[in-house]
Amino acid sequence: MSTLSKSPSRFKVPGYLIGPILILTVAMVYGSLGSEYFLQPSSIIFNTGRYIEIGLLALALTFVIINGDIDLSVASTLAASAGVLAKLFSGGVPIFWCCVAAIFTGFILGLINGLIVIKLGLPSLVVTLATLALYRGLTQVMLGDKVVANYPESFVGFDQRLVIGGNPGLPAPLTLFFVAAIIFYFILHKSNYGIKNIMSGSNPSSSKFSGIDVNRVRLIAFTLSGTVSGICAVMITSRLGSTISNVGLGLELLAITVVVLGGTDIFGGRGAISGTVVSLFAIMAVREALVIQDLNGQVQDAAIGLLLILTVLVPRIRSYYVEKRNRQKRFNEAQAKA
Amino acid sequence: MAVKVNSKISYIFKKREFGIFLFILILLAIFGSIEPRFFRSDNLSAILSSVGILMVVGAGQTLVIVTRNIDLSVGSTLGMAAMVMGMVARSRPDFPIMGLILIAMVVGGICGLINGFLVSFGKIPSIIATLGTLAIFRGAVFLVSDNVQIDPEDVPKDIISLATTSPIGIPWLLIFALLAIVLVWFVSSQTLLGKRIYAVGSNPEGAISRGLSFNRITIMVFVFIGVLAGLGGVLYTARYATINPADVGRGLEFDVISAVVIGGTNIFGGSGTALGTALGCFLIGILSNGLTVVGVSPFWKACATGFLILLAVAIDNLVRRRQEENFLLAIRNQRVAK
Repeated sequence: MSTLSKSPSRFKVPGYLIGPILILTVAMVYGSLGSEYFLQPSSIIFNTGRYIEIGLLALALTFVIINGDIDLSVASTLAASAGVLAKLFSGGVPIFWCCVAAIFTGFILGLINGLIVIKLGLPSLVVTLATLALYRGLTQVMLGDKVVANYPESFVGFDQRLVIGGNPGLPAPLTLFFVAAIIFYFILHKSNYGIKNIMSGSNPSSSKFSGIDVNRVRLIAFTLSGTVSGICAVMITSRLGSTISNVGLGLELLAITVVVLGGTDIFGGRGAISGTVVSLFAIMAVREALVIQDLNGQVQDAAIGLLLILTVLVPRIRSYYVEKRNRQKRFNEAQAKA
Repeated sequence: MAVKVNSKISYIFKKREFGIFLFILILLAIFGSIEPRFFRSDNLSAILSSVGILMVVGAGQTLVIVTRNIDLSVGSTLGMAAMVMGMVARSRPDFPIMGLILIAMVVGGICGLINGFLVSFGKIPSIIATLGTLAIFRGAVFLVSDNVQIDPEDVPKDIISLATTSPIGIPWLLIFALLAIVLVWFVSSQTLLGKRIYAVGSNPEGAISRGLSFNRITIMVFVFIGVLAGLGGVLYTARYATINPADVGRGLEFDVISAVVIGGTNIFGGSGTALGTALGCFLIGILSNGLTVVGVSPFWKACATGFLILLAVAIDNLVRRRQEENFLLAIRNQRVAK
């Protein structure tokens, strides 16, 4: 599909990256026209802190979506894990064990999603729609309308910490994201599991016949997504310094948008970690560029929705015209022969 | 023959809708016995008017899901229609009420048309296309309204009276809802168009090879749900008398899809009835109201809804599997008999 560069160079930009890279570039230019501070490294790096949770969720969701499944419950899983963390903390449990419990909660909830989908043979869209409500409801039951705050100083402000000091330094969340992206890259593209994942997404029945335990692959993906949601719950609690029951409301749509914008096929079988990473930065740039123009969150979301549709639509239109031209060419050749 | 009468009765009992009906009766009995005030007329009319909005949109969603699509943008479409209607009413207070309703339905229809075009000609999976337009239409509400809400004094009295006056013992709001359900029932079971819609949903390739226009039917159902969401916007305005750009119709898509799924519509398309959806809407409305009335914390509501969806699809799946087994068994028996 990629015919961007006709030079015989060995490095080619994959087709699914063209859209996000274009968006990223345009947003960068547009943002720098709006404010001279937009392109300053320190402002770019510190703006990333708010998007890292979305990015991590999207990385794990990439596996689920490549399998042809979907997990709508990620944000609710995050909320339930954060709820467990807050509940245990207000019960006097040391913060470290609260975090461990939150991640474990995410693991369990993801496992439950996977088990329901696989053992009962139900569509993941409906199951995770139900657990979206269920987990959010559990959070509300746990926390009520209370706000849990007063976390210890050593726990809060994870996003303000630097792994490499100096100006601009490398903040901890961004480092974590890059490390996670590299790990997920190797899992998806270099490991046995990743190959099984892509195969069972592109053709479940033939994968089954070639000896892949498709259900196990799917179960692992769901559990991974839940666990990452638990980790994100710890991060978001540390960043905000407080927990309420509607924490992370609506994050699932943003995370899915990141994955799909990055070229992962919503019907499964195709996808890449690099796409998810680049599209996260593209969405981040768009939102920050619009913030500078003083547009509110709803309009930012609308712009991202528009980009989502365009990135899917434009290649379709292009391939339609290419096909039409080829057909015309074949027709002309046939005419000339006759 | 006695068998025939017997089979007719057992046919009713075996109907899926009967199960939901039974469940509603049980819920009513439980809520009524715990708290007799549940059956007071003002509480019942509160249930009915909240169910009405759900039912109007649910009627359209049923047909969309039957064609293997899904419309996530209904909440934003409803918001867009209500906002445009409210702005017309504010700037010209003497505008006839029929004209206002028509405006809302046309705005909704246009939103639906956009969705339909993206899904049919754009060949974008409906879940992505409507995920995008969910954000786009919401952003459009903000841009159109300039983030100013429509106050109760600007909403025409005639519109508000739709929720408060009841010509034959039922409020207008519910009459509209029932009309929508009857319309969907009539189209789906009594007309050729309905047969075509179900055919496209249960076997798209087969339907296309039989000469059905896939694109035309897809666009038709999306315009239909758009128009109904527009009508839902009118009913929303009647019920709440305020149109806030951030709140109007937010999260409606979740309740609507839950109601449709609980009502027995298969999320993979091809089956589903208007009656089931109506009962599903009643079930959700009664459950959320009843929990509040009997004094259960409202925080349990989301839990209960999520659990209900899981229960409904799990039972559905069980029944479907049993039916398939019986069907295969019957075929084998026939072969053996031959």
